[in-house]
Amino acid sequence: MQHFTNETIALDKLPKYEETPLTNPDPKYWRVIIINLFIFLFLMAIALGLLTFFNESVRANWMLWTTLFVAFAVFLCLISYASFKRRGFALREKDVLYKSGIIAEKTTIIPLNRIQHVALNEGMFSRIFGLGTLQIYTASGSSGEMHIAGIEIEQAKAIKEALVQRLVINTKEGNE
Amino acid sequence: MSLDFSQPQRQSAAGIIINGAYIAQRLVRVMFIPLALFIVKANKTALLNTAFGFIAVVILAFVYGYFNYLKFTFYLNPLKQEFVIDKGIFSRKHLTIPIEKIQQVNINQGFLQKIIGVYSLQIDTAGADSKEVDIRAINGEIAQALRQHLLHGQRTPAMEEGAIETPPTASTDVPLIKIKAATLLKIGLTSNYGQSVALLIGFGYAVFYNIKEVLKAFDNDYGQVEQFVKSGFTLFSTGILLAAITVLLLATNVIRTFVKYFDFQLSKHSHSLLISAGLLARKNTLLHPNKVQITEYSQNYLQKKIGLFKMSLKQAHAGRKQSEKEMKNNNTEIPGCNATEKDELLRMILNRIPDGGSTFKPNWRYLNLPVVFQLILPMLIYGVFYYFFPEARVYYPLVVAYFVIVFIMIYISYTKHRITVSETDIIKQSGIWDISQEIIEPRKIQSISTSQYPWHKKLDIGHVTLHTAAGSISFSYGNFTEIKTLVNYWLYQVESGDQEWM
Repeated sequence: MQHFTNETIALDKLPKYEETPLTNPDPKYWRVIIINLFIFLFLMAIALGLLTFFNESVRANWMLWTTLFVAFAVFLCLISYASFKRRGFALREKDVLYKSGIIAEKTTIIPLNRIQHVALNEGMFSRIFGLGTLQIYTASGSSGEMHIAGIEIEQAKAIKEALVQRLVINTKEGNE
Repeated sequence: MSLDFSQPQRQSAAGIIINGAYIAQRLVRVMFIPLALFIVKANKTALLNTAFGFIAVVILAFVYGYFNYLKFTFYLNPLKQEFVIDKGIFSRKHLTIPIEKIQQVNINQGFLQKIIGVYSLQIDTAGADSKEVDIRAINGEIAQALRQHLLHGQRTPAMEEGAIETPPTASTDVPLIKIKAATLLKIGLTSNYGQSVALLIGFGYAVFYNIKEVLKAFDNDYGQVEQFVKSGFTLFSTGILLAAITVLLLATNVIRTFVKYFDFQLSKHSHSLLISAGLLARKNTLLHPNKVQITEYSQNYLQKKIGLFKMSLKQAHAGRKQSEKEMKNNNTEIPGCNATEKDELLRMILNRIPDGGSTFKPNWRYLNLPVVFQLILPMLIYGVFYYFFPEARVYYPLVVAYFVIVFIMIYISYTKHRITVSETDIIKQSGIWDISQEIIEPRKIQSISTSQYPWHKKLDIGHVTLHTAAGSISFSYGNFTEIKTLVNYWLYQVESGDQEWM
C-alpha cells in the first residue's frame, strides 16, 4: 500500500493514453460501410419479398413488415454512423491505440514490444477506394488483437513497415 | 542402450504392440455399436464368422503396427538444433521441430503402456498440433534423457552441457508437494462438484439411452424404462432420492480425484517443475516457471475450514490462436495444498509472495445487468406463464427459491469482485462458491482494453481487461479515473522495461 502511494507523483506525470489525439478513419471508409450495409439490407429485402410472396399472413400485414424493415434499416445506418464517428487510432512512440465501439466505447492498447506480427488486409470495396485494414496480433490470441479498418493504403503500408521495423529491432535486442 | 540422439532411431520394440493395440482399439471403437447390435441379433454361424473377422482385423492391426514401428524414426540434429521425426507407411511425413519452439515435453503412461513398461512422449510446441509429435512407445530412461535434451538444448546449449550429463534420477529427490491419500479424500469431498454433476448427468443419460437401445434391439420397448423411472419417483420419497444423489455425487467426486491425482508429486528439477500423478495412467508434466502467465489459487468455504488450496498454473501457447478448451488443457492443476506449500510454489513462480497493494472495488451498478437478465427477465416470463397457464402456478415456491438463491449469488459475486494492484503484481479476486485469486505480473500483459457505456460517463464508471497469452483478466464497474491511471501505469511498466513475457 505504502509503496504504491509513494508512486503517486510519478503516476500523474505518466503519459495519459486517454488524452492522446486520435486519427479518424478516412472519410471514404464511410462509403465502404454504407456499401456493405446496403448489400446486407438488399439481401434482407429479397428475403422479406419472398416471404410476402409465399406467406399469406405476411402478405396481409405487408405494411407493418415494410415499416419494421425501414425502421431497422434506419436504425442500422444510425448505429453504424455513430460507431464510424467514434473510431480512431493513434501510433505512439511505444504503443498503438485503437478506439471503437457500437454502444460501449472501447479502447485497446497494444505495446509495440508485445506485437507478434502485423498484416495488411484489403477488402474488395476497400480496394476500390484505396483503403486497407491493418491487423495487429499479439500472443494473447483473438481477444487481444486489433483490426484498424479504413486507413488510406499508402499510410497503412507505412505504418505496417514502421511496426515491422520496430519488431525486428525488438526481437534482435531480445536475442542479444 | 545408447543415449545418443544424433542418429535416427526407432521406438522401443514394444511399440509394435502399442501401435497395433492403438489401431485395433480405434477400429473397434468406430464399429462398436453396429457390431454390438449385430452380435445380439445374429445366429451362430454368423457369430463365428464375425469372430474370425475380428481376429483378422486384430492381426492386420498388428501387422500395420509393425510397419508403423519400422517406418517411425526420430533424431536430434545437434547442428541445427532441430528434432526430426520421420513417419508413415504409405504417405511419408517428415516433421522438423526447432528445439527453441518446444514449450513442454510430456511423458505419459497409459494402462497398456504401464503393463508393458514403456512410456509415451509428447512434444508441445508453439504452432503445431501436439498429436503430431507423439512417440508412443519409448523406454523410460531414454524418454527422460530425451526430455532433458529437448528442454535444455534451448537458449544456451553450450552452458547446459553439464546438466545433460546428470542422470535423470535427480528428479527423485524430495518432492515439494506430495499429496497423501487422506488429503486426496478431503479434496474429493470438497471440490469440483460441477464437473461431477455434469459427469453424472451424462452417465445417467447414457445408461437410460443404452437400455432403451438394447430393448429396441429386442423389439420389446414398451416404455418400461420410463415407467420404471416414474415408479421410482413415487417409491422413494424425494428426501431419500436427494440423499442418494448426494452420496453418489461425493463418491464419484472422490473416485475421480483418486484416478486423476493419485500419488501426486511436484518436485523442483533444475529450472523447472516436474509434476506426476495418476492411478491407472500416470501423467508426467514438466514446466518452466517463467512460462506460467497466470497463477491462480482458489478456496471454497469448506476448504477454508480445513486449510486447503487449489492451484492452477496457466501457461502460454505463443503465437498461436486457440480455443477456450485448448487454453484449459494448457493449465496445470495442483488439486490441493496447504498454505505453506502454496506460498512455496508462489515464491518459485513469481520469485516472491505477493502482498499489499491498493485494492479497487466495483460500483454497486455491477449488480444491474445480472439482476435484470437473471432475475427480472425470468420473473416476467414466469409472470406471463402464471397468467395464461394455470398449471404453472403450482411451481411458485420453486420460483421464489430461485429468486432468493440467484439474488444471493449475484450479490456475493459483487462483494468478491475486486482487483489488488501493487508495483509487482495484479491480483484479481472473483467467484461465488470457489473464491479464486488470479495473479499476473505486469510484464505478462500483452494488451489492455478499457471500455465504457455512454450512460456511465457522468458516473465515471468503466471496465478494463488485461489480455495475457494464457487468457484475460477483467475488472468491471470500477472508478474509470482510477482505471485510467492504472492503465497508464501498467503501460509504463510494460513499455519502459524490456522484460520478456516468457
